[in-house]
Amino acid sequence: MNESVLMLTVMAAIGLGTGIVFATVGEILAERAGVLNLGVQGMMLVGAVMGFWATFETGNLWLGVLAALIAGAALSVIHAFNSVTLGVSQIVSGLALTIFGTGLAAFVGRAGANPLIGEPSRAEFTPILTDGLADLPIVGPLIFGHDALVYLSWIVVATTSYYLFRTRPGLTVRAVGEDPASAEAAGVNVSTVRYLHVMAGGALAGLGGAYFSLALVPSWQDNPIGPAGWIAIALVILASWRPWRALWVAYLFGAAGRLNFTFQTLEINVPANLLAMLPFVLAIIAMIVLTSGKRARLLGAPAALGIPYFREER
Amino acid sequence: MTRRLIVEPRGLAPWWLKLLIPIGSVFAAMVVGAFFLAITGNDWVEVYQKMADAAFGSGRGFAETLVSATPLILTGVAAAIAFKMLVWNIGGEGQLIFGAITAAGVGIWLSGSTPPFIAITAVVLAGAVGGAFWASLSAVPKVYLGTNEIITTLMLNFIALNFMNYLVLGSFSPWRDPEATQFPQGRPIIENARIPEFFHRLDWGLFIAIGVAIIAWFVITKTRSGFEYRIVGDSFDAARYAGIKVPKKVLGTFLASGAAAGLAGSILVAGILGKMDPRSLDLGLGFTGIIVAALARLNPIAIIPVAILMGALNNAGPALQSIGVPSATVRILQGAILLFAVGGEFLILNRIRRPERPTEEAPADAEVSAA
Repeated sequence: MNESVLMLTVMAAIGLGTGIVFATVGEILAERAGVLNLGVQGMMLVGAVMGFWATFETGNLWLGVLAALIAGAALSVIHAFNSVTLGVSQIVSGLALTIFGTGLAAFVGRAGANPLIGEPSRAEFTPILTDGLADLPIVGPLIFGHDALVYLSWIVVATTSYYLFRTRPGLTVRAVGEDPASAEAAGVNVSTVRYLHVMAGGALAGLGGAYFSLALVPSWQDNPIGPAGWIAIALVILASWRPWRALWVAYLFGAAGRLNFTFQTLEINVPANLLAMLPFVLAIIAMIVLTSGKRARLLGAPAALGIPYFREER
Repeated sequence: MTRRLIVEPRGLAPWWLKLLIPIGSVFAAMVVGAFFLAITGNDWVEVYQKMADAAFGSGRGFAETLVSATPLILTGVAAAIAFKMLVWNIGGEGQLIFGAITAAGVGIWLSGSTPPFIAITAVVLAGAVGGAFWASLSAVPKVYLGTNEIITTLMLNFIALNFMNYLVLGSFSPWRDPEATQFPQGRPIIENARIPEFFHRLDWGLFIAIGVAIIAWFVITKTRSGFEYRIVGDSFDAARYAGIKVPKKVLGTFLASGAAAGLAGSILVAGILGKMDPRSLDLGLGFTGIIVAALARLNPIAIIPVAILMGALNNAGPALQSIGVPSATVRILQGAILLFAVGGEFLILNRIRRPERPTEEAPADAEVSAA
């Protein structure tokens, strides 16, 4: 295979995958604490539009990032309230959040006298080192040729992994997701832990959305993220609730999303619509092979995932 | 001291509460919508008036509302019968699309001289079979291997969507109109397979949808099979002890759910569309069906009026655009309605009461003033 084609594919995979990495790691945090949030798509879209809007108003990229984090977290509070405080169906509440968020993002992008729709971003994330180290063959672009958010995503993955598996609070989170009653007996406030991790998940989903509108395609359209939020939810399972694996599977999906162009450059003719199906087909096959039945538990599915928890005293 | 309200699970909620929660959810969502409209400089009263007018203000408008409601009744039934059994089929979208593909396939393949009754029946049923087949791709792994159906049904939505686009936009398949050379379009199905209209664009498909909802209600509440279904929905263990074959029951429900969603696709193809039109089939009808089912509290009969309400909202979207208000307002309202309705479920499942007045402590008045 042509080296430059491979290189382009890898770089594109990282580009297409980074937004999904943020969202997947966020959802891992929520699910590790025992809350399934199917609102990722909605939170990403709201993060994408609010991040874009803040940068559009101020010209500052990092204010955009901040706005996206806050917007995603704010939206996720609704889901936390439904699933933690009220203990109603997490599945329906999450879907509702996605519908609401999708509508809200499209609304914000089109409302007002000077709508954002069709506008290019006033600033965008671009590779930090355009010359020097990035000029090295292969490793140059691979390690040094990215924008700030890609590096941030690596930091987020590393920190989250360390947090969940190497720290005491991380152990607490996993305990809450496995057996909330025992965690509560050991003095953990299950509700607080769940709220915080759903919100952290929302913030990361918002950031993931903003990656699309501020870095990948720096302009505003009704849905700049495609089905990225839904993919993130599937990837949580394929990554077996582990942040580092989330990074690799997200890049794999990024590469699959890029196959279209790769095949074109290699002059292999496969219809674009059929190629677009491929990542989803692969996800289903992987789901069936890797995570069916008891295997999901062995992989690390939190035992109390999706189950509301009420203190005994009620 | 703190006087916390006591929350406890309750058996049966009063009927008025079950009615109040959905209605209250709609009003609460309208308040949320009004907030977003107001902060973006829109006159929310005018917007809501415009919406009501577009949906119910004229015979033609109401006919369009019912046209929009028809597929939603079916995707609503699809979601309701699955959710009631804790089968999380969120693939109504994909099952609808695959139903449309099979229905259009039959409608194109049939000889033009097929008698209308046979042609319509064949096309409509083909959609149900297609939908059930698409559901089986998630149902079989779920029942026999324990594969999480939330993810597989979701992924199959995107597969079906891309497959439909491939058939019409990306290839010269039999589904594509060979005469539409400029802009790719679906090939029209034979004239005899079209469901006749009876009032403006409204066709008899509406009554097929209502009929399916009534049949679903009848089977669930009046038959032995429905009785077993309800037991499985309440508790897998209880059902197993009662000698019910739970996997078979789950599989059957999942397929029936897919068939209902597939019917929505075939009724669109045989009804207003007359062909497989990718742009008109990718409108989130499956997801809206989930809102319908949740707001109707999974009751097939209640689905009918709720679907009409959601149809009215969908129908009002374009009218909003004509006065410069984003049609996404409709999506915000629908999402908010569902968020409130699912939250309101808490009040149906739980009773909240004041604690018994403590006897040896200070009277309640003193506590209030102290707080």
